[in-house]
Amino acid sequence: MIAIKRSTHATVKERPVTTLDQKPAKAEGRKDPWGVLLEKVGKHQDRAAYQALFEHFAPQIKYYAISNGIANHAEELVQEVFISIWRRSCLYDWRKAAASTWIFTIARNQRIDMLRKLQRRNAEMAVETEDLWQIPGENEDEPVTSLHRLMSERRIRESLGQLPEEQITVIAKVYMEHKSHQMVADELGIPLGTVKSRVRLALNKLKVILQDQNV
Amino acid sequence: MTRHHPESLTLMEYSAGNLSEPRALCIRLHLEQCPECRGRVDTLDSLGAVMMDQQPKVSVSDTSFEQLMARIDEAPEDTSPVAEAPKVSPLQKLLGQDINDLPWKRQLGDVSVLDITDKFPGQHDRVVLQKLVAGGKAPAHTHKGDETTVILQGAFSDQNGVFNQWDFVSLDEHDEHRPVAVGNEDCITLSVLSAPVKLTGTFTRLLNPFIR
Repeated sequence: MIAIKRSTHATVKERPVTTLDQKPAKAEGRKDPWGVLLEKVGKHQDRAAYQALFEHFAPQIKYYAISNGIANHAEELVQEVFISIWRRSCLYDWRKAAASTWIFTIARNQRIDMLRKLQRRNAEMAVETEDLWQIPGENEDEPVTSLHRLMSERRIRESLGQLPEEQITVIAKVYMEHKSHQMVADELGIPLGTVKSRVRLALNKLKVILQDQNV
Repeated sequence: MTRHHPESLTLMEYSAGNLSEPRALCIRLHLEQCPECRGRVDTLDSLGAVMMDQQPKVSVSDTSFEQLMARIDEAPEDTSPVAEAPKVSPLQKLLGQDINDLPWKRQLGDVSVLDITDKFPGQHDRVVLQKLVAGGKAPAHTHKGDETTVILQGAFSDQNGVFNQWDFVSLDEHDEHRPVAVGNEDCITLSVLSAPVKLTGTFTRLLNPFIR
């Protein structure tokens, strides 16, 4: 694990990074199967690879739409997410993000876009969703890759299994139902402070909290 | 309480896509310059992916994939691969000009403000740019809860220390401070506030972080 050292913004512009060139074999071993398929779509418009991705991720995205309260537009969201995957896969770089993380950020942005469209305020805004919520790897100029980033999904999967159910429930409501911490507190009938401390405990375990915020 | 970085809980709401556009803009501007917080958001995005994977799945309609391919074949101009967009700061895109050249309104002494709430239609937050001239002092003031501020240019100092460009500042009603713009540049901040329930009187409240 790469330790995150605190520093001032003015002096440090680089992320904690590791050059992959030094350990090509090891890095190649971290290439996930979905990332391989995404690359095939990006480089060759490979339809079989695209279909395999669709079969795996489309049912997840459909549930994501339903749990986010747009059940009437669930099939439409799946379509929009996959059109976006088709169009953007040429920009996907497996060294910058795991494929499922990349697909999650696309689903999230398409969900935000769809809500904007449903509220009829899409055209009025000068900034687009991608200007505010970045797709990992796009418009990033670092020639090197954060190993920390590649490792994170595997580490999260392992750490998540050790979290108590009550913490996972709160996180699921934030991610899958786009609820604020206050809305989660109201729904579960517990104080806001309890919701926040559950999230903090979970993020601490997942090593998201900066060390200086944790003392 | 004052901080230089957004809280992890706020970053999680950002990663989940639950923040309003102006609050997301504050986070995005900070992330552009802060490798540590970028690393935290990367981890949180992966958390989102793992959550999505561990939730139930719902079958899509039988013709869903065929529809998708038909769309790709029939409207190639709308479904062709995208080129990477040129890198333009979201702030530049939003304002269309340099922040120093905006039609600033002198508010009080060394402080100028510009309300840009109308750039974000259909949401309830109030969005304000503020400028404290280089070397200028803001009058002592306190704050009300639930606001987000990021420093766009220059720096200011108060009794809690120095806040530099791209730092996050969180203040609440317990904080009374008297910021001074340090360095040679005017200090410009972007603040997002929960809109007041009701405005009373002729004068709109003055806004923080410099003045309320």
